[in-house]
Amino acid sequence: MVKKINPDELEKIVASIPMISASASRLLQITAQPDHELMDVVNLVKTDANLTARVLKVVNSAAYGLVSKITSVDRAVSYLGEQVVVSIAIENCAGELLGKELAGYEAAGGELWKHDLRAAIAAREVVIQSGADMSPDLAFTAGLLHDIGKALISDYLRGTAPEAVEMISSHDSLDYLAAEEKLVGVDHTIAGYALAQAWQLPEELAMAIRYHHEPAQAEEIYRPLVYAVHLGDSIAMMGGYGTGSDSMRYKLDANYADYIQINANILANVMLTVDTEFDKLSESLSDSGEKS
Amino acid sequence: MGQIILGVGDFGASNNPDDEIKTFALGSCVSVIFLDPKTRSIGMAHVALPDSTINKAKAAEKPGYFADTAIPALLAQMAELGCDKRGKGIIVKLCGGANVMDTNDTFQIGKRNALSIKKILWSYGMGAIAEDLGGNYSRTVSISISAGQVTLSSPGKPHWQL
Repeated sequence: MVKKINPDELEKIVASIPMISASASRLLQITAQPDHELMDVVNLVKTDANLTARVLKVVNSAAYGLVSKITSVDRAVSYLGEQVVVSIAIENCAGELLGKELAGYEAAGGELWKHDLRAAIAAREVVIQSGADMSPDLAFTAGLLHDIGKALISDYLRGTAPEAVEMISSHDSLDYLAAEEKLVGVDHTIAGYALAQAWQLPEELAMAIRYHHEPAQAEEIYRPLVYAVHLGDSIAMMGGYGTGSDSMRYKLDANYADYIQINANILANVMLTVDTEFDKLSESLSDSGEKS
Repeated sequence: MGQIILGVGDFGASNNPDDEIKTFALGSCVSVIFLDPKTRSIGMAHVALPDSTINKAKAAEKPGYFADTAIPALLAQMAELGCDKRGKGIIVKLCGGANVMDTNDTFQIGKRNALSIKKILWSYGMGAIAEDLGGNYSRTVSISISAGQVTLSSPGKPHWQL
């Protein structure tokens, strides 16, 4: 019998997850502000010796192949760009959580983080290539964090993948979200949202985590971003980077068209870009050696 | 046993009975499998997109990425193993091409990949004798060269043969 996650249990799970660092938290707050500047990111990185060291290690890693070593945070941040810095900060403080094996989904260690990176790049590219009026940087960050709830409920779902798959193919459950809810009492978006609140993530990111499978249910002001993450998530799965048994077993909400104009040609280009950019980004992140 | 792992847009062929060709997690991508009974060689391409006209440079660098460039590239490689250049006598199997649920036309890349591959195969007078296409799940495919057996797997499902 699978143990259900009631509200008390969810609270306990969330409490057992380490808080993100103060600097990562502030970085996410700053970058969610529409009028922030790269200098704000630079100043924030400078306040955290650990993050500074990681940023410098990444920029000087073989992946970037710089001729001369960069030693200043200003140059490193402007060279890497905001998205890479955010990826480093998240990996630095939530890497263990996002890198863990998702036994409940029959996904090996590292699959969730790869999916997150692909979804982040895809969400960003959807925004850029469709010309949608929103921040590609924020779409990227929301993509990185959207599935964090899977890491929270995966252990409870252990051994349920065949049942979940069967529930969907027999139309007993509409999609994997519904199957999760039936099996353990909460789905990964609700669990992720609870963690987002505990971590005091900006509301935009919390909403993307909560509604990335049901974008129409998000409040109107958050909907464009949530749809971008919804599409980014789908594109990551279509490209072969899901998180195991749930891959592709979610519904596409075609009403994205109210916010994001994308045709087959743009989509093909987005998928192509995701393949190229993913190799670059994952190389630069992994290449920089041991996580501190 | 040698394992030939094909990533997205890769293709490869072998006639070494000790080899196995494998590709992981086909989402909307389609795996094209060629089996040649005459030379006992097997080839596979992991096709990501239906049409190379969107990026000719990528097609030149990675012909296996697009349906229209993958088939000729795979045939050429099979020909090096002694197979017929036009694919005569080659047995074709296709798998993958999944879609997310309730997909609209734009997002049916899996279906477009499969259609494009079939169209190109027809132009060579070739057609698939077995296929496992579509659905809403990802597939991992492996073929042992000696047995010529195509095995599929997907998390949460028992393995099956094609």
